[in-house]
Amino acid sequence: MYEDLNQNISQFLDKELDHNEALSLLNEIQAQPEARSKLSRYEAISHAMKTEVFLTVRPDFSERIKQEIQHEPTYLLPARKLKEHKQFKRNHKILAVAASLAVVAVITVQGVNESPDKVKIASITGEIAQQPLVEQPSEFVSYKNETEHSPINAQINDYLQAHNSSVYTNGKANFQPYARVTAYSRK
Amino acid sequence: MTVVKCFLLVLLLSIKTVSAEESGLTASQSLLKMAHAMQSLNYQGTVAFLRNGKLETMKYFHAAEKGIEQERLVSLNSPLREVVRDSDRVSCLFKSTQQIVIDHRPVVRSFLVDIPKNLQELSGTYNFEIVGEEEVAMLPTDVIAIQPKDNFRYVRKIWMEKQHFLPIKVVLYDLSGATLEQFVFTDLQVKDTLPFVDFKFSDAVNRSGRKSPPDSKAPPPIAQLQSQTSVEPDFILTELPPGFRKIFFTRRPIHNSDQPVDHLLLSDGFSAVSIYMEHKNSDMQPGLQSVGAVNSFSRIIDDSQLTVMGEVPAKTVRFIADGIKLKDADE
Repeated sequence: MYEDLNQNISQFLDKELDHNEALSLLNEIQAQPEARSKLSRYEAISHAMKTEVFLTVRPDFSERIKQEIQHEPTYLLPARKLKEHKQFKRNHKILAVAASLAVVAVITVQGVNESPDKVKIASITGEIAQQPLVEQPSEFVSYKNETEHSPINAQINDYLQAHNSSVYTNGKANFQPYARVTAYSRK
Repeated sequence: MTVVKCFLLVLLLSIKTVSAEESGLTASQSLLKMAHAMQSLNYQGTVAFLRNGKLETMKYFHAAEKGIEQERLVSLNSPLREVVRDSDRVSCLFKSTQQIVIDHRPVVRSFLVDIPKNLQELSGTYNFEIVGEEEVAMLPTDVIAIQPKDNFRYVRKIWMEKQHFLPIKVVLYDLSGATLEQFVFTDLQVKDTLPFVDFKFSDAVNRSGRKSPPDSKAPPPIAQLQSQTSVEPDFILTELPPGFRKIFFTRRPIHNSDQPVDHLLLSDGFSAVSIYMEHKNSDMQPGLQSVGAVNSFSRIIDDSQLTVMGEVPAKTVRFIADGIKLKDADE
């Protein structure tokens, strides 16, 4: 019995066992501390013979790591307080994922290499076939400005908000932090 | 059976979508049909805005009934918010904080794209051309290029969906041909009806306690609007790029204070430029700044600071800013 086990361990380390046999052996070893210790020793001997370097590992090394992990605290994310916010998020979660994937697909294949002088006539599927998504992430879309981006001055942000509605479609924009009602006099 | 197959084949061929060129429409005519479709149809879809290098995906709804229209955007990503445009009033509700921002815009402007009604007036500054056909979001489109005749404005391209003449993608290019910003629908459905959303914002007040005035008659679109206030700005424009004209002027506080700011809006039909003048302060840095496709140029004249801002090239805002002079006291 033990001789068989020893032989199996030796074969396991030499990678001579097939998948099912290896799995069965590991299950068997799991229940026998002595066999686990033997596996560690055989592994160390094998490692030393192959690399001429010998590192001693205590037999209870993996057990101690397991215990440490079990003692780690569990972090729970705080629950959202706003019911409406939660409901809104739940309703749109699937939609957001689907839409984002679709956006990446459409924009990646169509927005990357466009120039005003040259319009490509190609189907979406054709372009996907030529340009795998992995190789053309959406970050590759080039945005060129005539000056470098700088943090938006609060005054400039107010001007921007008064100028057009683009701030509402830009999630990073800073809105005026209060309910604002403005009106224009009209003739 | 063969007769039925032949009938189906003929039917399929006959309902094939025709392009604008095949149907004999010019680019200008297509744009006008698009403007009409945008105002009169009920449609919804998912739209992605790419501005300033950032992607913002939103659900878009356009409801129209008896000449009244409402645009609604619902963000799919944080910060979660809902933006509603009723004519010239834009209301933004942040879901998480219940914060509300309400703006009455000086002119009616769509969240998507504005097409001037009289495109012939713009023939001196823009060329309109159908430059191709493409599939966007699996829908056949005509690609219409709006090409400026000088370097004072950007190039636009509109991908117009063929069946309903709706814009499904719009891209703004800089002078070198690089993409500055764009929006694209990833799906679009035309409906018989769509509900109007009624936000009860009437009780919202500003910091000085003034309530929102009731909506009066909606102002005309940008291409038709004339200067509407009797107050004149305290500055004059000595030079303007061709095609730009004054659209609107107002004097009101726009910062978190009561200090009034002069706001003059110019437009060439597609590109809008705002000029702001207020008492100078230390926060403002003179010179050029860019936020995506929007460039601004600020300068100090005497005790006033002037900022020219618009979705035009940097040279345009600088050109306009350099031509600003303050009025004399007796003018």
